[in-house]
Amino acid sequence: MTGRHTVEHNRHTVEGTDPGLFVEVHEPAADAGLRPVLLIHGFSSSSKLNWADSGWITTLQDAGRRVITVDLPGHGRSHSPEDLDSYTPSRIRADLLQIVTDVGARPLRDGDSSTGLDLIGYSLGSRLAWEFGATQPDLVHRIVLGGPSSADPLAAFDLVAAQRHLADGTPIEDPSTAGLLKMAQMLPSNNLFAMLSLIEAIKGEPFDPAEAAPQVPLLLVAGEKDERAATMPELASIAGKRGGMVETLVIPGRTHTNVITSRAFKEAAVQFIGV
Amino acid sequence: MAEISFPLPDLGEGLIEATVLDWLVEPGQQVERNQPLVELETSKSALELPSPQAGKVVRIHGAPGDTINVGEPLIVFEVPDDTAGIVGTVPKDEAPKRRVRLSAVLDED
Repeated sequence: MTGRHTVEHNRHTVEGTDPGLFVEVHEPAADAGLRPVLLIHGFSSSSKLNWADSGWITTLQDAGRRVITVDLPGHGRSHSPEDLDSYTPSRIRADLLQIVTDVGARPLRDGDSSTGLDLIGYSLGSRLAWEFGATQPDLVHRIVLGGPSSADPLAAFDLVAAQRHLADGTPIEDPSTAGLLKMAQMLPSNNLFAMLSLIEAIKGEPFDPAEAAPQVPLLLVAGEKDERAATMPELASIAGKRGGMVETLVIPGRTHTNVITSRAFKEAAVQFIGV
Repeated sequence: MAEISFPLPDLGEGLIEATVLDWLVEPGQQVERNQPLVELETSKSALELPSPQAGKVVRIHGAPGDTINVGEPLIVFEVPDDTAGIVGTVPKDEAPKRRVRLSAVLDED
């Protein structure tokens, strides 16, 4: 296995605790000399499922890009901390900032295309990328958001109904809650306690895209049949009002789940961040 | 020349089938080992299947939207006789990079 190494769990801790996030840096065979790309996966997924198996990492490596992947807390090969704080979106963003700094991302400098960081997020990862881009304008160069939504289905999750369902099998009335819980239970590698902790933490910090919007160029991509991303035009409008360049791309025939492997999505993303 | 057929491999996680989203190769095309062959969707995620070997594509099974069960034929390659080896063996040119990969199981029939 070449062109890839695993970084130790972040060497510097944020707020004195280590959430044990699993980080990998994937080096290209021929480096294009451009800034690194951070990939942020979706809820109940992992870097492996969201980015490796779907072909994103090799596509970006083939384009000469250095790729950073991080498994979210409780996902993939990351730890499942017991404290709720490790799962809050603000804490996750702080950990991501520390991680990308530790692996060499540097603040943007005019005329130096190796500085800064490009972001690609998917679903929950798009929400995190939106906020990360809004709060780190000195670092973030361009952002690609897959399956993005201005709503927050995780904040609307009915935690009480889910816990009752897990305890005694009482059916869950809200279809979105039932669907998300099914997703959370599907992967043996994902810890259900951690999934519910993440949801609880997100309820404390629900997504409010208008509160802080990125002002860097944005590419929003969703499948034509992606119901969760039906609000993508609202996000585009919010970012557009801040004066940032916004492009949107709808992939025909694809859903929230299966847009991720789309060649059109990958090619558009590689081109968009390849400047 | 010899033909070598690969079935849909075990995708792990207890999955028994996958739906074809899009083929990335077509009959007559020469492909390299590890080149993405097809986009598939399972009940858990969508993924690309890398080619288990180099060769010329002879046939592909399943149109977009079709469901294929694990173990059913997926793709047939034409390879030179001297590299086909005993039917059912996987060429050993380098270590596979992905956990999800095809392997021939014809010798188990």
